[in-house]
Amino acid sequence: MIDSALSPLGAKVVLAASSDENHPPESIIDGNPDTFWVSTGMFPQEFIIGFAEPTKIAAVTVDCYNVKHLKIEKNTSDNASHFEPVTEKEFEQTEGHLQSSAISLNGTSATHLRFIITSGYDHFVSVHRVSVES
Amino acid sequence: MVKLRARCLLVGDAAVGKSALSQMFHSDGTLFQKNYSMTTGVELQMKCVRIPDTNDSVELYIIDSAGRETFVEACEKMWGRPSLVCLVFDLTSEQSFTSCSHWMERVRAHSEGLHVPGVLVGNKSDLSARREVQASVAQEWAQSQGLEYFETSAKEMENCDAPLLSLARAFHSLYHERLEAIQNLQSPG
Ligand SMILES: Nc1nc2c(ncn2[C@@H]2O[C@H](COP(=O)(O)OP(=O)(O)O)[C@@H](O)[C@H]2O)c(=O)[nH]1
Ligand SMILES: [Mg+2]
Repeated sequence: MIDSALSPLGAKVVLAASSDENHPPESIIDGNPDTFWVSTGMFPQEFIIGFAEPTKIAAVTVDCYNVKHLKIEKNTSDNASHFEPVTEKEFEQTEGHLQSSAISLNGTSATHLRFIITSGYDHFVSVHRVSVES
Repeated sequence: MVKLRARCLLVGDAAVGKSALSQMFHSDGTLFQKNYSMTTGVELQMKCVRIPDTNDSVELYIIDSAGRETFVEACEKMWGRPSLVCLVFDLTSEQSFTSCSHWMERVRAHSEGLHVPGVLVGNKSDLSARREVQASVAQEWAQSQGLEYFETSAKEMENCDAPLLSLARAFHSLYHERLEAIQNLQSPG
């Protein structure tokens, strides 16, 4: 099943660097691509999504803008303490519309997913929606 | 309320006053580094600048690189991708002004095609009798490079905050421009 809005399912963003009150990290998991979290300068940038319980994840779909390189890591314990690499993705630059990419995680199990944006096509990048296929 | 973060490269020939200026930035003008010591590597300082008439601020991570040729390569490895550039020359040294285009080339090589807002700073304005670079000439070159021009004296604490405020404002307006562009994006189906 594809969870477009993660927040009603107990998922939450437990950490995000960067800070514009009008564009809080919760915008990433509210299922609405019109709301977004935006980075406020420099790289890397990261956010962590936590699940209510260990979850098997087939794929994540990321809708974003000006992201160049993204790394995904996972944690399997209750506290977000030990992350291991899962996959990496190089995005194509888009103009005037969002980047959107389904990234396979091969049914890996995780309590937290950490998204690290290591570089962008501009000084600032935005993430509009992350949805999880479990 | 927005808190932005910018990586600001402080570049220019050796002895033009980069370290003295960055001391000033850091300490709000209460301290002037009087002992000359050749910078040997890269120094990082953080300075938070408030944008007037807003609740916003910009944290400038100022990277002071040695100007001495032998260290340049090692320093450049530490530069990363700059958000802003503060290019300094010595008003009493024509040579240090001539080097500026060279410094800009280096900075651009690290910018990966991104527009990097910046300022040109003519320092040591207190040594007016020894001035070798006319304001109009520096101003014109700055304009041709898209930089805003300032004259400072780190020694007399003259005008030292102006370049920083200009850098912070430039980054702040870039942010708002980009934000507007993002808001106008079309979301996927
Ligand atoms: N008269 C005068 N001397 C300055 C000024 N700023 C720096 N200096 C002196 O110039 C020399 C080089 O300064 P420094 O900050 O180390 O230069 P850097 O190599 O560019 O970092 C030192 O002796 C400073 O005291 C200034 O505004 N006026
Ligand atoms: Mg120095």
